[in-house]
Amino acid sequence: MSKQPSQTIGTDESTRSSNSLLSVSDLCTYFQTDEGVVKAVDGVSFDVQSGETVAIVGESGSGKTVTSESITRLFKSPPGFIPEGSIEFDGEEVNDMTVEELRTLRGGRVSHIFQNPQGALNPVYTIGWQLREAIELHQEVTKKEANEKAIELLTQVGIPEASARLGDYPHQLSGGMKQRVMIAIALACEPDLLIADEPTTALDVTIQAQILKLLKSLQEERDMAILFITHDLGVVAEVADRVVVMYAGKVMERGPVMEIFETPSHPYTRALLECLPSKGNLGGIPGSLPSPIDPPDGCRFASRCVFAQDECLEGPQPPAYEAGTADHVVSCIHYEPGGNPDIVLKSDATVSALDVDQMGVGGENR
Amino acid sequence: MKWYIFKRLLWAGVATMVVLTITFVLMYLTPDTRIMELEFQAAQSGTDPEQARQAAETARGMDQAFHIQYIDFMQNMLSFNWGWSDSRSEPVIDALASAIPYSMMYGVPAVIISTIIGIVIGLYSAVNQYTRGDYVATFVAFFGISIPNFWFAIILLVIFGTWLGWVDLLFDTQASKIDGEWALRAIVSWENVKQLILPMFVLMTASVASMMRYTRAEALEYVESDFIKTAKAKGVSERTIVAKHIFRPASIPIATILVGDILGIVFVGSYLIEVVFGIPGLGYLSFDAIMSQDTALVFGTVFVPVFVAIIGNLAQDIAYVILDPRIKYGDR
Repeated sequence: MSKQPSQTIGTDESTRSSNSLLSVSDLCTYFQTDEGVVKAVDGVSFDVQSGETVAIVGESGSGKTVTSESITRLFKSPPGFIPEGSIEFDGEEVNDMTVEELRTLRGGRVSHIFQNPQGALNPVYTIGWQLREAIELHQEVTKKEANEKAIELLTQVGIPEASARLGDYPHQLSGGMKQRVMIAIALACEPDLLIADEPTTALDVTIQAQILKLLKSLQEERDMAILFITHDLGVVAEVADRVVVMYAGKVMERGPVMEIFETPSHPYTRALLECLPSKGNLGGIPGSLPSPIDPPDGCRFASRCVFAQDECLEGPQPPAYEAGTADHVVSCIHYEPGGNPDIVLKSDATVSALDVDQMGVGGENR
Repeated sequence: MKWYIFKRLLWAGVATMVVLTITFVLMYLTPDTRIMELEFQAAQSGTDPEQARQAAETARGMDQAFHIQYIDFMQNMLSFNWGWSDSRSEPVIDALASAIPYSMMYGVPAVIISTIIGIVIGLYSAVNQYTRGDYVATFVAFFGISIPNFWFAIILLVIFGTWLGWVDLLFDTQASKIDGEWALRAIVSWENVKQLILPMFVLMTASVASMMRYTRAEALEYVESDFIKTAKAKGVSERTIVAKHIFRPASIPIATILVGDILGIVFVGSYLIEVVFGIPGLGYLSFDAIMSQDTALVFGTVFVPVFVAIIGNLAQDIAYVILDPRIKYGDR
């Protein structure tokens, strides 16, 4: 089983990358640990165009966060390192940037907001101080101008009586307010790309909806691209233009949001969608993620896949095959040219039909 | 804030009174060795020991009622009338006043320098955890904590004093004075500084080490915290992250440690260091007072660290509310 061995995910992208805002191709991010090299991200490709929202979805441990932190090299290094792959932002290779250039990129053109607003603000400084720091790092402003800008930003993210709140410390604000402050900090220098790593996961549902709405309206005002990291498919449906489905450090499927929800093509995507509460499978996908240190041959999902065949357990992860449209690609051998995607698409097999005894290596050794 | 500081000040006053009261009760209950000596002398010379005792007690006001003695004692203490040192034949206060500058001369710079060095090395170690630099710093720290001060001091004296002859073995008490008066010019003269280097070095081995370990541990709590990632994502430089985002929150517990650190190392260490190097400071004075059973002087030399502890705790409580905005002033 060695069809097209030279083709890897990402090569099919090379023609498009030039005009994208962000173009990640074949990105690998590894971590050196005592147990071995953890391959957290192992060959990931996707693009983000100006002004659009791309969502990366996947379960915990699939490498979403590491992917997002690789873009501005935020992960801890050492032990983290990028052995191969390229990250092009606005035509410039981020991997070749010096520390100084990276610092101008961070906060200046690419901003981050994180999952846990409780811990994301420094507890011993006022929010005004933290906002001004972000403003002064990338802009030549006087203290007074920075203050005015800070008030303006806080007002924009929906914090009432902003000027009175500048002197507040983070512990005086609620979780939703803190996340608004984080968004204000992220917007301080009008970034072209906002990376939002599970920005609503730690918030309750009503606040979640408010924050999503806020992000959407800010995006429209500023024509800013958003890379949205989440495990919540409901959120994806609400915010995303395009979706990247990740599993065990690999991209399983990538495509426009409508197509992903209407014709989910990779068995993993289908299984994920079945796990939405409305679909009834509350048990989740049987089995667990393969070892990130010594990943099995073949498709990373094969050990948990109901459609897996012998050839799924051999060679590298299948390349990105087209599924329907050019923009919708799937890393599954059933979609290779001449293959029969209907095995997956037309099947009513659900993940719960998977016989636990058959599950193979990934499931039983944990 | 003002109310909080006022309450802390009040508490420091109460603590002082408690310490003094306990001291008084202990003194009241223990038999006075000097009176016992007088009784013994009276018996030897054939006079009535009972009469001699009464005379001595009257002279010292010890025939008064408990509460009158107590009030007298407190008044004396609070007006710095701390009694008479028999072994030195001068008031205790004068003995302390002549000794304290010698201790401060090497203690203050040692504490300041070791705090700065300890914090810097600790921060470096935390940011570069598990690298070679961290291991070297950790090794040096454990060496500094483990090595006994008095032994290290003797070894240094043997090497630099006896073998190399770089420093004098005998401490020159006049090097810091001009015509018998303390003078800044003399204190910072090379002649004086030279003889302080070794005591400071010995004192600093332990305090740098403990400061470094505490700082490392505290800073490590923040090195991988979310807000450091936020700062990094904003584009803050590594150095500013360490100085502003890590050190600032870590400084809160470090400020707490500082007081205990200074007390433990300086006052305990001073006994050993001053005796070995022959520096006539507080530790040496206290050591002498214990050896010659000069009760008044022993109390005097012990009160100094006690008051430093009370004032240190006060300063620490105030530093806490200044450094940590999460602590409310009125609540405690």
